[in-house]
Amino acid sequence: MTRPTTLHVHSINHHLAPVEIRERVHLDSTQTVALIKELCGNKKDSGCVSVLPISTCNRTEIYVEVIAGHDADEIVGAALVALGLDPALFLGEYTVSLDGHDATEHLYRVASGLDSMMIGEPQISGQLKDAYRLAREHHDLGPGLLRAFHGAFRAGKRVRSETQISHGAVSIAYAAVELARKFFDNLSLQKATLVGAGETGALAARHFLQHNIGELTIVNRSPEKAMELARVLTAEKEAGMGSTARQDGPNVSKEFDLTNAQITVHPWEDLVGALANADVILSTTGATEPIITVAMAEQAVSERKGKPLFMLDIAVPRDIQPAVGDIGGVFLFGLDDLKQIIAGNVESRRSQIPAAMRINAEEMDALQEWLDDVDLRPTVAEFRSYLENLKDKQVGHVRKRESEAVAEAVERSLQQFIKKVVGRSVSALKSSPSRAERERDLEALHRIFGNGKED
Amino acid sequence: MEMLHTISMNLMPLVYFAVWSCYMWLFITDNAIAHKWSTRLAFGAVILDTTAMVHLSLELKRLPMGGTLEFLGLLALALLGTYLLIEMRQVSKHTGFLITGMAFLCKLLADVLSTPAPEVNPYLSDPGFAGHALFILVAYTALSLSFLYAVLYMILARQLNRRHFGLLFRRLPSLDGLERMSLGAIEIGAPMLFFSLSLGHLWMYNLAGTITPELATELSPYDPKVVVSWIVFLAFAIILIGYRFLGWRGRRMVTMAAIAYLGLVLTMSLLNLYAPSFHKFQPPAAVESPSGES
Repeated sequence: MTRPTTLHVHSINHHLAPVEIRERVHLDSTQTVALIKELCGNKKDSGCVSVLPISTCNRTEIYVEVIAGHDADEIVGAALVALGLDPALFLGEYTVSLDGHDATEHLYRVASGLDSMMIGEPQISGQLKDAYRLAREHHDLGPGLLRAFHGAFRAGKRVRSETQISHGAVSIAYAAVELARKFFDNLSLQKATLVGAGETGALAARHFLQHNIGELTIVNRSPEKAMELARVLTAEKEAGMGSTARQDGPNVSKEFDLTNAQITVHPWEDLVGALANADVILSTTGATEPIITVAMAEQAVSERKGKPLFMLDIAVPRDIQPAVGDIGGVFLFGLDDLKQIIAGNVESRRSQIPAAMRINAEEMDALQEWLDDVDLRPTVAEFRSYLENLKDKQVGHVRKRESEAVAEAVERSLQQFIKKVVGRSVSALKSSPSRAERERDLEALHRIFGNGKED
Repeated sequence: MEMLHTISMNLMPLVYFAVWSCYMWLFITDNAIAHKWSTRLAFGAVILDTTAMVHLSLELKRLPMGGTLEFLGLLALALLGTYLLIEMRQVSKHTGFLITGMAFLCKLLADVLSTPAPEVNPYLSDPGFAGHALFILVAYTALSLSFLYAVLYMILARQLNRRHFGLLFRRLPSLDGLERMSLGAIEIGAPMLFFSLSLGHLWMYNLAGTITPELATELSPYDPKVVVSWIVFLAFAIILIGYRFLGWRGRRMVTMAAIAYLGLVLTMSLLNLYAPSFHKFQPPAAVESPSGES
């Protein structure tokens, strides 16, 4: 008979623990594997069935399934000590320890992005799956942990697809792209000019490249820096992926697809020419005076035949004269506008929390239903196996004496019989008036039909 | 037959309401289910209503355009059908609530206020005239949608300029998309207008010898409405040429589309009030035979 297990989690996350603590409890993959081996290498002694540690920049959590009656804190604490880690840090004042239903609920919240620093962020889903894969590579997960994680992944997927919790930009660079997409459906048909080759500019450029901007022209006072940035972006293009851009939007492809993007450098002296040739202008220089004047913008817009010019000034102090925004056909935005968009998106994400929680509750009910019957399964499987063996023998006898058609008919009939007998037994076990009586019945069933008994 | 007609009359406003509700739900919540079902529902409604209209035409032995209410019923179908064509080309559904809402209103008025068939223009039984009338209905519907998208473009541009990042900002397609939807509607409307006017002229010449001399003088190719329609066609053709070959885009495009449409509405309204025309819903005084067989 399988002994009942319970789920526990020790979570050190951004809600309680400052970044200094989160840094100290961060587990790399080597430490994670060592912890798994330490906890599950001698299962019978410790009472630990399986463990799944996860460590990201915002949280370090240890999910552990233990045999009922064992102290999870004690088990995890001993393993941490054995690995030379400080249990007071992992199980101390910054730690939230949850058991059973609360632990599962926490896992579902994490998987659906409800517990993230930025609600609905999608990275946590991938991080959980990576942790799950790593744990499975090094030991067999217990049935409770396995089922809970499967349910959590399903809940996370449903929350992201059935609600808008991951919609809308929540970072400045992605908000810039989102705003540009209010002007142009297909960025691959548009040309962008990046004025300035600093870090902010590079990040914004990466986001636009990630969204397949057709052409990118870099203009910078120092042509060497512009060339260097173009080289870096082109190298990323050749490598086929960008390593530093954050992926915080639902429409962001996982890898850069820069195959169609052309990255060029334009001389600073012909800034007007670069402006005239662009549909999207990103200005991010460190200049103390505006570098794009009304006259320059008017000249740039005169050749556009009505096509809107999207200008984004994310420099402080501003690079573009505010009056440029008054020119017909020019749409000038700044940092404050992007922040306003982000605030709106965050609010919109928050409004999706009740719907997400409903989905989590549905998935947790399904898990609970499974957990309620978890003690039945091994014994019922034994009973079914016994009946199946019996059926195979009887059908074998019939097959020797009668035709194949008769044997098949007998097999079908016995299969129906097994289905009804097992079904009836399961429903009778489920409706046992008390837990003790159910255990007694299971014990009897196991004694009679279990342990590979055959006739 | 009559029972079928009654069922369709009572059912169609409900179907149009369901379509509008689905698009409205999509606009407000961006719900995935609404996204999936809106187009399917609209497509189903078009098929159902087209079947009902064909059935009605066969029953009446004429085009069901014999009065304002019948016209509204057909306009609802034209609105929905034209919108679906635009939606399928531009893959944007968030403006659907506006057009399906208008279509629902037309359908509701047409079917709720429906009265026994009035005395109608006997030309409606003539296939040549029916084709002309249908084409012109679709053409003007498409041009109206082009105007609607031009106005939406201006509204979104204004919202962006004023930094109003609300529901319209989140739900409306990009300026680029609205411009292409307006243009897409012109691409449907302008050729339809051309075919409709050409068919009208051919039909008119085909009537020679079958109508009274008085009526023949009325049926002139220089009828003010015909002339204005040709001018409108030219204006929209110029817009299309400007877009395709001269690089006109954005504000310039939508402003021209809006001006052309407003010019059309204004001129037609003035003509209806002050200029004589044979283009009327009322039956003409002396027509020997609607089929031109006498």
